[in-house]
Amino acid sequence: MTKCPACLERFGLGDYSALAAHLVAQADASDSGHVRWLNQNISRQKMPARELEGRLRAFFDLEGKPVSVWIKDRFIQKFYGPTPHPFPVALQHPSRATLLGYVVEHQHFLRQWVRSCAFIMARTDEPAVARYELDNLNTEFGGFGTPAPSHYELLLRMGESLGLDRAQILATPPLPSTAVGIRAWNRIASEEPWVEAMAAMHSLELIANRELVQHGATLRYFDPRILQGTEVTHETQAFLREGYEADVGHSDEALELVEQFSTGPGQREAVQATFLRSADLFDDYLVARLERGTQFEG
Amino acid sequence: MITWLPGSNGGPSLKVNYTACAICDSSWGDLWEEVEGQRLFFCCEVCAVQFRNLVARIKVETGWPTVDRLTIAGDRRGRNAEARHGPAIYRCEFAYNAQGGLRAFRGSTG
Ligand SMILES: [Zn+2]
Ligand SMILES: [Zn+2]
Repeated sequence: MTKCPACLERFGLGDYSALAAHLVAQADASDSGHVRWLNQNISRQKMPARELEGRLRAFFDLEGKPVSVWIKDRFIQKFYGPTPHPFPVALQHPSRATLLGYVVEHQHFLRQWVRSCAFIMARTDEPAVARYELDNLNTEFGGFGTPAPSHYELLLRMGESLGLDRAQILATPPLPSTAVGIRAWNRIASEEPWVEAMAAMHSLELIANRELVQHGATLRYFDPRILQGTEVTHETQAFLREGYEADVGHSDEALELVEQFSTGPGQREAVQATFLRSADLFDDYLVARLERGTQFEG
Repeated sequence: MITWLPGSNGGPSLKVNYTACAICDSSWGDLWEEVEGQRLFFCCEVCAVQFRNLVARIKVETGWPTVDRLTIAGDRRGRNAEARHGPAIYRCEFAYNAQGGLRAFRGSTG
């Protein structure tokens, strides 16, 4: 099944003609989500549906590559291309404001993350997927006692080490882009097929995958030198190190499971579209971290 | 009145009713909105909101009653603009959130 990467509307398997007509119609109506997708992924130059159809076919063509590789390439283009996303740019040598913006918005993200992973677990029949998500839930939210607190706990400790009270962090409502993302991810995880939900969620962990530079990324998530010395707090190092060390094999493993369980007709096409939708939500959410950070400047 | 130049063509000619978005230079979409007395083309509502917010901020920062000319460059990761009012020039760098609000703005006169 082909899906619209802007709204996830369904079309017939390989029916890029219908998808092109849909995108052109939505663009003619100046729908910002569809126009944005076209601008950022195909061209800012308007074109007729017939021409767009060919461009879409080429854009989604896996060229014999695994869908996990296609996802990785698209992710790099979007977040770590010649003009990388401003959040990792700011995180190279982060200010207190940037880190606090990260803390305040990300605690909302992580709470949704848990729900999304739980939906995937509940909706899959595959033991390997259930085990993967269980491990994920423990790492992100459950923790393994005092020696290995959850990523969520490490995040809150980072905030506290920067002078922000835990109660205040938890009581701050999300910015609009974070709230929009959470709603959309919740819908994807609960309503779209679980293999698509898996691609949508775990592809986002590529952001911290330090091996992306070997695949053409222009930047890492942060300069690893900040993990040493006193440039950032010890708690910040503990939080960043956790992701830095965990997420490499982690995001790869999830995408391999997606690859393994998306072999049915049209499943890969749907995975591609749902991943793209999630990546756009994530892009806006990362900007919201920066926007929140400006409140802590000066 | 606002006259403006889309960022990517960089040419000196003044284009009114040019059908590329006043913010992002896209020709998708079909949204015409009046800003400062002039009908401008936008690809979508978010770009229209971005443009209005930019003009409003420049007027606040400069105290100008109107912006005569606005040249926007850059991309969605970060843009810059040169605004003119009579002989006066104001330059700024800025970035938006997904709703079209200015999340960062830095201006300088000169
Ligand atoms: Zn759509
Ligand atoms: Zn536009």
